[in-house]
Amino acid sequence: MQGLNRRFEVIVVGAGPAGLSAAYILAKKGFHVVLLERGRGVGSKQVFGGRVYSSLLERVFGSLGDAPIHRWVRRERLSIINGERMLTVEYISGGKYSFTTYLGQLASWMAGKAVEAGAIIVDEVRVDRILVEDNSVVGVESGGDTLKADVVVDAEGANRLLLEELGLVEKPRPSDMALGVKEVIKLGEEKIDERFGLRSGEGAAWILAGSVSAYTPGGGFIYTNKDSVSIGVVVSLESGGLVEEPYRLVESMRLNPLLKDIWREGDIIEYSAHLVPERSVRLIPSKLALNNFLVVGDAAGLLLNTGYTIRGVDYAAYSGYLAANAIVEAEEKYGSYSEEVLRRLYEERLKRSMVFRDIARHKAVEMIWENPTMIKQYAALLLDTLGGLYELGESTPSLRETFKNARRKNKVSLIRVMADLVHGVMKA
Amino acid sequence: MHIVVGVKWVPNTQAVRFDPHTGTLIREGVPSIVNPHDLHAVELALKLRERYGGRVTAVTMAPPGAVKGLEHIIGMGVDDAVLLSDRKYAGADTLATSYVIASAIKRMGDVDLIVFGQETIDSSTAHVPAQVASWLEAPYIYYVEEVEAIEDNRIRVRRRLEDLVEWYELEMPAVIAVLMHSQKPRPVRLIHKLRAVLEKPVETWSNEILRLDERCVGLKGSPTVVTKITWMPEVPRKQKIFKGEPKEAVNWLIRRLEEEKILPTCGADKCGEGD
Amino acid sequence: MTSIGDKPLRVDDLLQRNVWDVDHRPHITVDTEKCRLCEAKPCITTCPAGCYILAGNKVVFSYEGCLECGACRLICPYNAVKWSYPLSGKGVQYRFS
Ligand SMILES: Cc1cc2nc3c(=O)[nH]c(=O)nc-3n(C[C@H](O)[C@H](O)[C@H](O)COP(=O)(O)OP(=O)(O)OC[C@H]3O[C@@H](n4cnc5c(N)ncnc54)[C@H](O)[C@@H]3O)c2cc1C
Ligand SMILES: Cc1cc2nc3c(=O)[nH]c(=O)nc-3n(C[C@H](O)[C@H](O)[C@H](O)COP(=O)(O)OP(=O)(O)OC[C@H]3O[C@@H](n4cnc5c(N)ncnc54)[C@H](O)[C@@H]3O)c2cc1C
Ligand code: SF4
Repeated sequence: MQGLNRRFEVIVVGAGPAGLSAAYILAKKGFHVVLLERGRGVGSKQVFGGRVYSSLLERVFGSLGDAPIHRWVRRERLSIINGERMLTVEYISGGKYSFTTYLGQLASWMAGKAVEAGAIIVDEVRVDRILVEDNSVVGVESGGDTLKADVVVDAEGANRLLLEELGLVEKPRPSDMALGVKEVIKLGEEKIDERFGLRSGEGAAWILAGSVSAYTPGGGFIYTNKDSVSIGVVVSLESGGLVEEPYRLVESMRLNPLLKDIWREGDIIEYSAHLVPERSVRLIPSKLALNNFLVVGDAAGLLLNTGYTIRGVDYAAYSGYLAANAIVEAEEKYGSYSEEVLRRLYEERLKRSMVFRDIARHKAVEMIWENPTMIKQYAALLLDTLGGLYELGESTPSLRETFKNARRKNKVSLIRVMADLVHGVMKA
Repeated sequence: MHIVVGVKWVPNTQAVRFDPHTGTLIREGVPSIVNPHDLHAVELALKLRERYGGRVTAVTMAPPGAVKGLEHIIGMGVDDAVLLSDRKYAGADTLATSYVIASAIKRMGDVDLIVFGQETIDSSTAHVPAQVASWLEAPYIYYVEEVEAIEDNRIRVRRRLEDLVEWYELEMPAVIAVLMHSQKPRPVRLIHKLRAVLEKPVETWSNEILRLDERCVGLKGSPTVVTKITWMPEVPRKQKIFKGEPKEAVNWLIRRLEEEKILPTCGADKCGEGD
Repeated sequence: MTSIGDKPLRVDDLLQRNVWDVDHRPHITVDTEKCRLCEAKPCITTCPAGCYILAGNKVVFSYEGCLECGACRLICPYNAVKWSYPLSGKGVQYRFS
């Protein structure tokens, strides 16, 4: 076939933020790179929550001037919901750190940059296998066709069929992964500004815990896009199945009496679902490179879920960037893409980066957030305390008294509270 | 055999929702696709090329965005494609559409067989293939599910109707429309799709190239006048679940349908017991 | 705007909000014989698209509304799910996620 006469130096599998960043940097450095994506067009299979941190992205792509930024996040909200009561903490941020968008749009924007730089993107092609000969990766296979290259970058995302087939990782245990389900509700720009208290162009990011996700590990999220709101829940997979069907969870969040008026008159324009690596530390492969082969993004387990924020997109982009730079350097300095060279130039640098250290550091916070009894108890404790302070009859109890009563009611000892707090803070 | 396959680039109508408040269609974010029935035409054309050799050229009259659709079918294995695109062609009814397509086929010159889909999902007139055949003064058969080449530039086609199968012998060049759902369209392949992207075997022919009389194309060349369109209101669905044995389930269903006055009351419980 | 109302939507109504190009070949197949042995049937409550339903005590699977999330592949205790992505870019077509 004529198409195959063209020789590629690099094949990238998967046009998510990780693969696109790698392809962009490689193309910019003059590499012949082809990116294979199973979806129709770029972004048609992408789902995320709603917010992207900009600084690493700027490191990869330079200016984000023409990026599809919906709103810069100004209001950060954290709520605990327990039945009819809700406690919300709001932080108004002073700068531009993160923005909301649709991941598909952001990926298309990245694809535009990559193509402009000379990358070839081939969509509607599912890669079935990473080809290995004599202990080295030599290319990929799709529908019986093979395509060879000097290096292959695996950016297939959280669902690692190729890495499993290759034997680099095992099929994850359900509890290592979470399932995110999401609804996008079209509401109109002005209504969003009004109902979230935003000025034009400003956005809100809102994480919810407690009864919104039926106290299952995980929680709810709300992000404001330009003229729509993304709402959803992320719940850990449990081997016995979820307590409640995911679509019921997201629908009860939409109809939660404390929230539903926010999107009154809105229209659901999309319903989506995707896996999230939950216990990143357990999901990171033992090696991030083999001979002629690199793993980036969610496929490498590089995602940080602290419970109050998810960072995956910028980490994915950054790992793609590091991988691309490693390939460039390996070729220039060593003329070799051996496992040893790639692990030194990519894996070691990645592990020394903030991205990686943060992922390792945050595992304790993940644990508090994931522990359903803890969430339930603390939600009740907090809300009973506040209820005691604000829902007044004849007497006006002190903070100390209400806290004590709330502890008794919820059968939490002061020692337990202290121990958990110290534990959480120390590990964080 | 040089086969031309005609495909239409249509909005994915499944995604078009109706807004009952404003009475309009919500088209925002609705992507276009190759008319699904046309993939069966592509499949039959590719099978014929495999059997008899030759070349398959896809043709579509559409805005420039349709290149994505042409790449999809080149990804399935079609050799090359022609996009008939010009502002002057916009607003065409079936007559003006078929005129442009037929003129393009004439310009190609060496065409033996022209294969279309049965109908489109967005207008479903099934006029275009018949009209192309008329412009070309070529024989035309529709509901075709199989084609065999026989001697002397002739083909035998099998046509399936509800209760009978017919065979026709046609002289080429001939036009056929392929029965919907009659083939199993093959998937896009890496090597073909890569070629589509690298070699861009899609030519665009504007009216600069076809040089058709402007009075015969686009809106000006379209005698059809759509005077009014009304939409059927969305019927809210009532979901009821019955769990139990199949026989009970059938009786239960019949009773519900009677209650809804969809079935005339007959006393389902007694059915089958002999009156 | 279409009003979405105050009642929870059924999963089918949610799926209808999406754009689809469903392939004639199923990308996931389930060996429902194995499901007979399975007590928990976690697929039923896990699948976000309601692709697994219980008919009597049999698992019935349909691939058409699949959101391609991959949860059923991980959750199935009997390895009854043969899982892959659709070919040719078919399946769900996300636009706003
Ligand atoms: C519900 C949810 C909420 C999230 N919220 C946030 C958030 O608010 N902020 C944030 O930063 N991150 C968030 N994340 C995480 C973020 O989405 C991911 O970390 C990020 O998308 C990872 O990028 P990636 O390029 O590694 O993988 P992906 O974005 O998953 O891209 C992988 C690509 O590879 C393609 N592919 C897969 N297999 C094949 C194959 N065999 N052949 C060809 N192509 C293939 C896929 O179609 C896809 O396009 C969230 C994730 C989820 C699921
Ligand atoms: C009453 C009526 C009035 C209309 N008036 C207008 C109008 O004023 N303005 C307007 O923009 N549209 C109008 N249309 C739509 C327009 O006629 C059709 O979009 C177009 O002519 C194709 O007809 P069809 O979709 O019914 O195709 P069919 O005849 O159902 O298509 C059969 C097959 O022909 C082939 N085919 C069809 N169209 C093409 C194409 N463009 N390129 C290549 N192959 C093709 C495909 O293989 C297809 O499967 C009108 C339609 C109707 C029914
Ligand atoms: S992949 Fe996800 S949506 Fe598809 S059937 Fe499995 S669980 Fe359901």
